[in-house]
Amino acid sequence: MAFRNVNRRCHMGLQQLSSLASIGRTLLGPVKSYKFIVDVNTSESVLTCSAVRLLESLDLTSAVGQLLNETIQAQNKDYKTGMTTLLFLVGAWSSAVLECLQQNVPFSLIVSVMSEGLNSCSEKIQCLQLSVDDLYKGSDSVPMHFGSSSLGPQIIENKTPGIESNSFLNPLVHILKEVPVSKEESVPEGLHSHQASPCDPHNRYLNSHLCTADYRTPSLVEPVGNKTMPVLPGSSLIASSCNKRTRLTHSRYFNTPGKSHCSLQVDNFGGPPTGPAACPYEFNDFGQLAMALSHGNQSSMKLVHDIVRCQQQVADHTGSFQFNIAEVLTCCLPGLAEHYSCVCPGYITLVSPEKATVTKKLQDRPLQILLVDGDLTEKYRHLGFNRPSNVRIISENVGLQESNSESLWINYVLDILIQAKVNLVLVKGNVCESLMERCILNNILIINPVTHNVLLAFGKGTGIQLVTYLSQVNSHCVGSGVWVDFWRTGDLSTMELDNKVPISIKAEGIHLVTAVLSSTVTSKMQVIEDRFWTCAYRLHHALTDQKVFPGGGAVELLCLSHLKKLEEQSLKQADDKPSGDFYMSSCWLTKSFTQYKPVVLKALASGWHQYLSRVMCNTAHYASEFEASTSIEHHLKKAADCGSPSAYILKEFNKGDKVMVDFGLLTKREEAVKVYDNVTPKVEAWRRALDLVLLVLQTDAEIITGPKRNQLLNSHGSSEFIFL
Amino acid sequence: MSRIEAKKPSLCTNEPLTKERVSFSLSVLSGIVKSCYGPTGRLKQLHNGMGGYVRTTSQSSALLGGLSITHPVLKVLTASVQNHISRFSDCGLFTAILCCSLVENFQRINFAACTVTKISRHLLSLCTDYLKSEACGCRISVDFDSIKTLLSLVHSVLASKPACMLNKTEANHLSTLVLKAFLLTIPHTVETNVVLGKCVIVPVKDKRVMDSTVFPGLLIEIPESQLARTFPVIRVSSSTIKMALFCISLSGDLSNIGEGTVIVHHGISLEVAVLDQLLNLGKQLINDQVDLVVCQKVIHPSLKQYLEEHRVITIDRVGVSMMEPLSQMTGSQPIAALHSVSPTCYGSLKDLRTESFVSKNFLHLIPNDTLVCSLILCNRNEMAWDELKLACQTAEHVLQLTIKQPLALLGGGCTETHLASYIRHKSFTLPASVLKAIDCSRTQYQLVADAFSRSLECVACCLEHDDGEILTDMVYGHFWSVQSGFPSDCNWSDLVLKCGCGICSNQQNLNWTVLQSQCIPFTPQSCSNEPSVNSTDHLVLDCFTAKCSGLQVAVETTNLILDLSYIVEDQN
Repeated sequence: MAFRNVNRRCHMGLQQLSSLASIGRTLLGPVKSYKFIVDVNTSESVLTCSAVRLLESLDLTSAVGQLLNETIQAQNKDYKTGMTTLLFLVGAWSSAVLECLQQNVPFSLIVSVMSEGLNSCSEKIQCLQLSVDDLYKGSDSVPMHFGSSSLGPQIIENKTPGIESNSFLNPLVHILKEVPVSKEESVPEGLHSHQASPCDPHNRYLNSHLCTADYRTPSLVEPVGNKTMPVLPGSSLIASSCNKRTRLTHSRYFNTPGKSHCSLQVDNFGGPPTGPAACPYEFNDFGQLAMALSHGNQSSMKLVHDIVRCQQQVADHTGSFQFNIAEVLTCCLPGLAEHYSCVCPGYITLVSPEKATVTKKLQDRPLQILLVDGDLTEKYRHLGFNRPSNVRIISENVGLQESNSESLWINYVLDILIQAKVNLVLVKGNVCESLMERCILNNILIINPVTHNVLLAFGKGTGIQLVTYLSQVNSHCVGSGVWVDFWRTGDLSTMELDNKVPISIKAEGIHLVTAVLSSTVTSKMQVIEDRFWTCAYRLHHALTDQKVFPGGGAVELLCLSHLKKLEEQSLKQADDKPSGDFYMSSCWLTKSFTQYKPVVLKALASGWHQYLSRVMCNTAHYASEFEASTSIEHHLKKAADCGSPSAYILKEFNKGDKVMVDFGLLTKREEAVKVYDNVTPKVEAWRRALDLVLLVLQTDAEIITGPKRNQLLNSHGSSEFIFL
Repeated sequence: MSRIEAKKPSLCTNEPLTKERVSFSLSVLSGIVKSCYGPTGRLKQLHNGMGGYVRTTSQSSALLGGLSITHPVLKVLTASVQNHISRFSDCGLFTAILCCSLVENFQRINFAACTVTKISRHLLSLCTDYLKSEACGCRISVDFDSIKTLLSLVHSVLASKPACMLNKTEANHLSTLVLKAFLLTIPHTVETNVVLGKCVIVPVKDKRVMDSTVFPGLLIEIPESQLARTFPVIRVSSSTIKMALFCISLSGDLSNIGEGTVIVHHGISLEVAVLDQLLNLGKQLINDQVDLVVCQKVIHPSLKQYLEEHRVITIDRVGVSMMEPLSQMTGSQPIAALHSVSPTCYGSLKDLRTESFVSKNFLHLIPNDTLVCSLILCNRNEMAWDELKLACQTAEHVLQLTIKQPLALLGGGCTETHLASYIRHKSFTLPASVLKAIDCSRTQYQLVADAFSRSLECVACCLEHDDGEILTDMVYGHFWSVQSGFPSDCNWSDLVLKCGCGICSNQQNLNWTVLQSQCIPFTPQSCSNEPSVNSTDHLVLDCFTAKCSGLQVAVETTNLILDLSYIVEDQN
């Protein structure tokens, strides 16, 4: 066993962490620099611009590196977004903590002050949360192409003077908006309007001019000079508006105060959201929200938006609508120009030319389908089946050979398929080559490998069960009403790529939607796919949370101003009044809490400060981090002077000015889109980043067991270790 | 042809403790365990250096389990600590640190091993007698009428494991959950033989701690696809669901075929034969109107399909750990054979529901008489989850031990310093007859007693990792920590805030002194009548049974180590 003290001089673990995390600095924000990772031995290279792929491709054998990778992967697994933020903050906070250590702040104090500080900030920023409800109510007044039945009530609403919209428009702007917008996909709806938000003082101000009725008890924005944080009224309001879904929203201004502002027509979805991302609105357009969440990946988000429309269209027939991310697929077509990227209902996949000929014969007629949850080979047995080793088969007939058993099996399988009149088989695993050939001859199309969720979607859509063996096939296992066709581009031509042909499989009642992604640069394919999923998950989380943060650094800015306030408070606080929220109530650390608190809070703030200035730099609005930093300070000062930082930040955000960071990247001022951030993924990324830094901080030794010990004993670094 | 190699002679080491290598290894081990102790303890990264799983921990069971120790003396120490942990879960680090300190301090006084052993045994009996007597000043009785003390016990366990990465709210939330889960396992009617139920921990990794929750009954995770085809449940009567529990594999293989070779004629398929048997079994289950079939291992897809087509719910691969709670909860006998399934084996459930919980789907088995509960435990990553699971299991064990012996010791170092003052005081007032009985002089006794007390105080000092200084008061003998480098002329009560366990505060005008400084022995008072015992603040409490045992194990292991005069190692 080898033992190494990682704390001897300066904290080795934190140093490793900060240098590892620094490689991700240029990946932050909407403008990312690609990185090439080259393996010197094999000269293989990977093109990447995401934290996950970067860490995946690196050889991280150190314990700290592994922990970092695990943390990033966990965030990726759960949220698919926020990994770069996580990586950056890990770096920023670990160097900030190293500075604290140089000032001799006790470890335990850093741990508790930082985690309490983050907690306090996470609570504080709740007042910035915007209800998703409010955000796309603004688009109600925009006529939409799909779901024509929905137009009626909207038009009526539009014609009612004074209550035409929930978005806070001045009358002039509204006239512009009444002109039918025919290209709402390309021009985000949020363009002319300010979004309604429950905590928006700016809007409330406008409001009082627009209508005489009192609007709401004004307790949402932090009162000036009040030390306690009135976060709750705002957040509870958001919560209440989440619980009562409106099918059609009228103006809130004529609602009686105290009543939910959007509850004129509460639909029958009274309870909290049932499924994942439940959003039972019938008429809405996510365009505005989606674009605001795209963070520079407009083209990917456009696809996500199309998927939502696609799913909505299906839902129009069936009733309620959910954005179901489990029924979204991707199909990559490398080599095809990027403008071929599109969204198609059904399952799109690439097949060999032989299968394409079968497809040609099968297209234009309803097919019978079979779903196989396993391999389609003779030797395949289900998981948990152990083959006995001591069984010998003897034969009395000399002519029978081993090889015969396979052809017998193929005949048996083919018989089943033909008798059940199956034309299409989706198989999860491998398929026996000779069976495949025989099936092609018999015009049976076998597609493999197919992921489990595709099988499930087809099972759900056609109401059939999955089988593991073909011997299980009965009437409950064969579905009908499935169609195959070639995937066609916009001009209805079919494609052949790299000896593969894309085909599409559709069925009645199936909700699967495939995003076809293409790129002429093959090495960019992975990046494009990752981006697509990030966008899809951003929208998914926004709908699951039912709330978003104003983006562009608004949240970070509020954290900074909040920490500054806490810092000032702790400086003022008398020594004999230890703060009650300290974890270890009996230790001397409680007494010296106030002494070190400002330093540690400053360190915590420096993480966000670095984050903001880095993003501002990366977006090229600022020449240097210094310039960006000055701008942040300027805003912080103004926010502090304003008395209520959250009000100031929301005001600036609603101005749409390039207050902080402009993620939109659109040069033309009028095309600037509002930017929103996800709530849970962001706060979780912060928490995970800080947890990792504090975990490494508290670690004082590495214990290495196993055969590595002897290697270390003989290595030149052996003096660092103690061997037991 | 075999090669014959001469046997190497065995290696014999005398007086192993005096060897430099042993004392060095011992001091490294002692350094490791000492630095891990307490809520501000430092963490250790255990890994194989080759890209394996990195376990970050400060808990004794994970730590000692991960260390690969080769030296016999260290092995004696770790083996007895691990044995203690397996019986009591808690106080492992306490035992290890006390043992290391006792060895170090006893070696320093350099007496014959037998004298030290005799005296330390007597000191141990003094301690245990004191702890078990009513007069004991460092214990409080646990009142089961209110949850406050129980909550404090659980909270102290969770708060002392920093690698769980819990903040204050999360620690409170989990303490409540662990206690709630424990209370669910206590039977409503108390008979002579009380058997506690089971709390099954359901892992949900990569989620927020605050999402953790407790359900009465059992939760078994099922894939979403099964959810759709399982419901609605059809049952015999509205109130009961008949259930069969299998502990053999129903996968249709021939795993229990035995030794030797089975010869099968071509054209006969054993697999088909087994499957036929399975389907016959299925037929019987359907005839017996079973609604739910649970299998520890795998169920053959064809049997599953057959049962599901007859609206029987099947759950397979529940794992061996679920078998005992399942059978306890439903009253079903685990079935171990394919044929001759007796209807008496079937158990029953009150209801069956599904629960969706942070993107996972569970089948919720609700028993008639709930003594089994499921604690859904969430934490952000795998490593922190492992640490948290261990902490929760320890806390549950502590509660079980406390219900047997409703006492708790003051934590936060106060018991150790209090006990040390008691021993010091006793060694001065010991009657001569006792000294005679153990055949030693008073000086000898006092020196050993001093080393013993120092070792106890040393354990308490290990709670401090940020260069603070430790004080003790001359009334209760409690533990107080202050910032180091304070001026000598200042007022002590300005420096201190609260004692380690949280009972005493600086309001009381106690007489403080630096711990381990020479001072006049005094009888430490009991402070269980202090008003703060009943205040709302959380006290830091330790498990009585576990700590008493830890003390005993540490002293006896030390005696054993000191007694070692030869180590004989077989070198072949």
